[in-house]
Amino acid sequence: MKTTTKKTLEYLLTLFVIITLNFFIPRIMPGDPFTFVSSEENSVNTVYSDEEVARLKEYYGLDKPLAEQYGNYLKNTIKGDFGYSIYFNDTVLNLIGGRIVYTLPIALASLVLSCVLGCLLGCVSAYHRNRFFDRSSYLLITVFSQIPSFIIGIFFLFTFAGKLGWFPLSGAMTIFATYDTPLAQIRDILHHAFLPVLTLTLAHIGEFYLLSRNSMISVLSKDYITTAKAKGLAKKRVLYVHALKNAVLPIITRLCMSLGTILGGAVLIENVFNYPGLGTMMRQAITYRDYTLIQGIFLFFAVSVLLMNALADILYRKLDPRVAQ
Amino acid sequence: MNKEALSIKDLSVTYSTSGYVTQAVKNLSFELERGERLGIIGESGSGKTTTALAIMGLLSSQAKVSGEVTYNGKNLLSLSEEERNCCRWKKIAIVFQNSLDILNPVLTVRAQIAECIDRHLCMSKENTEERVLELLRQVGLDRKWADCYPNQLSGGMRQRVLIAMALSCDPEVLIVDEPTTALDAVAKNDIIALLSRIQKEKNLALIVSSHEMSTIQKLTDKTMVMYMGSVVECGRTKEVIFNPRHPYTRGLINSSTQINCFRDLWGIPQENMSKKAEGCSFYKRCCQSTDKCARLRPPLEKCGEDHCVACNRGGILKLLEGRNIVKSYKIKSGKIAACKNVDLSIHSGEVVALIGESGSGKTTLANILCGMLSKDGGEVLFEGEKIRGFDATRRYDGIQITFQDSFSSIDEHFTVYQVIEEPLRLLKIGTKEERREMVEQALWDVQLPNSEEFYSKKCFMLSGGQRQRVAIARSLIMRPKLLIADEISSMLDPSTQANILRLLKGLQNSKGFSMLYITHDLSLAKKIADRVYIMKNGEIIEEGSALTVFMNPESEYTKRLLKCADL
Repeated sequence: MKTTTKKTLEYLLTLFVIITLNFFIPRIMPGDPFTFVSSEENSVNTVYSDEEVARLKEYYGLDKPLAEQYGNYLKNTIKGDFGYSIYFNDTVLNLIGGRIVYTLPIALASLVLSCVLGCLLGCVSAYHRNRFFDRSSYLLITVFSQIPSFIIGIFFLFTFAGKLGWFPLSGAMTIFATYDTPLAQIRDILHHAFLPVLTLTLAHIGEFYLLSRNSMISVLSKDYITTAKAKGLAKKRVLYVHALKNAVLPIITRLCMSLGTILGGAVLIENVFNYPGLGTMMRQAITYRDYTLIQGIFLFFAVSVLLMNALADILYRKLDPRVAQ
Repeated sequence: MNKEALSIKDLSVTYSTSGYVTQAVKNLSFELERGERLGIIGESGSGKTTTALAIMGLLSSQAKVSGEVTYNGKNLLSLSEEERNCCRWKKIAIVFQNSLDILNPVLTVRAQIAECIDRHLCMSKENTEERVLELLRQVGLDRKWADCYPNQLSGGMRQRVLIAMALSCDPEVLIVDEPTTALDAVAKNDIIALLSRIQKEKNLALIVSSHEMSTIQKLTDKTMVMYMGSVVECGRTKEVIFNPRHPYTRGLINSSTQINCFRDLWGIPQENMSKKAEGCSFYKRCCQSTDKCARLRPPLEKCGEDHCVACNRGGILKLLEGRNIVKSYKIKSGKIAACKNVDLSIHSGEVVALIGESGSGKTTLANILCGMLSKDGGEVLFEGEKIRGFDATRRYDGIQITFQDSFSSIDEHFTVYQVIEEPLRLLKIGTKEERREMVEQALWDVQLPNSEEFYSKKCFMLSGGQRQRVAIARSLIMRPKLLIADEISSMLDPSTQANILRLLKGLQNSKGFSMLYITHDLSLAKKIADRVYIMKNGEIIEEGSALTVFMNPESEYTKRLLKCADL
């Protein structure tokens, strides 16, 4: 019980630090929301007069001293009020909600895919350690995982979407399309999501491969595997019950922790594919110094990472009796 | 008649990792019947665990196994993995060396025992459950532990779980690897009692490998001593432990605190060295090795009833033997018998204490043994040859003697260098430079300063302790095989005595010479002696291993001596 309280306190403290950083970082950036607020991207930049800026600042409460703004921000955040986007003219909550339905599926899909494929390859590799399959897949995957994901994304975009035309160049679905059946709509969405998911999956497969291979190799050399073999147990039971149950522990933790990095990765990839998810919106929010929206998105990312960390903690406790004590 | 359960013929295991080849087990053969208990002793790395794993067929692919492991007429080594799996655990089970990782950390005790039963004995779920609890009860564990994970158990409990697991399918052969290492004394005793009870109940063929003598002693009837993969001695356990024939076995026993409970601990000198392909593997650590040992690998040969030893010299040598030694001195009123039909023997590498009160004839005997004093009767044999005159003392590899009174045994007007060099000079050994080197080495050995200033010191300037060291150096420069130390420490203060004795014992251990230590001090003898002779009025009235003489003395005189010495 004591450890649970301690852990909770730790998480709350982390959250507080994040919220604080979240407030100050956008304000440290040069510029403010009103330099850009009247202009569309790539169009003539109309500029507010000083009086208008002052009025708008007052309206959004940006003329108050920083300490007071911070206090208000904290108060509102605790109340669950994340504010109103200056640029998009909508509540931050609504905006995030509208975009997350695009980002979360591709993030989760690539997370699951990279984890399953990576672990599968890793286990097979570990079992055939130092043989041809292991050596070649190890080399291929280590080299591949060193390439930044957006380069892979751009490469795919150029070849499969641009040159070969197998996939759409941008968006989450065909604009203005009408679908005969819901199936056709799903097919269209999958078609659009394919390259982003593939890119993200490839970007993360390496870590799962290496982790599971290492984990499996060290588990396979443990004494309890010899014990299991000595008992004359079937090979399947030795591998899947005795070895995997142990090897899977670090993988579970990594899986949870990876959600954070994969969301971060999605920001880049969405921009490459112009996918209308949280990532593209975040870029826009930053460009326009849309303080409230930036704060909202950052907070969303931070909280989801924290939640996954907590989940990892809980799962590990459940799965590993050594930690459970 | 018991039927033969397991037979191993010519088993060899070679590990080859990245071009480096190690032979972990060499031509091992033995047979085991049901109900028999076999022990395997050896230091770590002697091949005990490899042997166990080879029998179970659990060695990694890097290990090359040859020979035969026959169970029930089938050679297990030629079976496929699936066929072996049917035999594993059901017929031959193993209790692995206890370690934290030996049980799977994420499975409960119950699951780990039950899976063996599920695999080999098709039982219903309820019966399996019942059997698990029954097994736990058998090994003395409460049923509440069944649902625990291995990390929740203590070392002793883990050992019990391992045993319960091994017994789960009623095997015929049980291999137990280091059952008592890392356990406290109470747990150790419990486990030994448990194993020996179960072995009797189930009439198991038991193989116990351990480096703990006391465990082997309590759990087995036959014992093999392994060194670097080969058997150097085998025989009945009692015989091997109380009458070891191989220097290695003796070294192991001397290192065992249970069997050797009085003396200081001295391990076998040198760690395992990289071995050459040919020759005796113990060659470099042995105290009685010859050139032949470097070339020839000794076969295991019979050296007694049910007792075999692999040694080119037929086991531990009898270095010195005195038979029927008689000596008397004439005084005015008649004759005084100083030695009456004394029989005495000293083996190579052994420290023998000759204990007696003053006037009992100890010094007379010592002088006769080294040839300095003529005897009236009997004979003294050194390495099987009769000693004539100063034959044995005026040569390398012979006998040297160091006396009680270093003030009179050393000419005090000699310099230190002269004293130590003198024997070499008299015997015309080596050139001047060589002699100098030898003197330096000798002084180094006895931990005296190696400086020009010290060399040229006159001996009357030295303290008693220093003089005794110089005397020892003078003896050791002749590389004796036997050093007779006649009361060398009786004139020294306790601290100097302790230093000299530790020095001497250390030299003895590393150089491997034998020592006859003559003393009237029982507590001292108890600290250093392997064997003890008690002498009174010119007669040997008691002899035996230090342990027996000090624990269960036979003669009244010894009992009285011990009592007076408060031992």
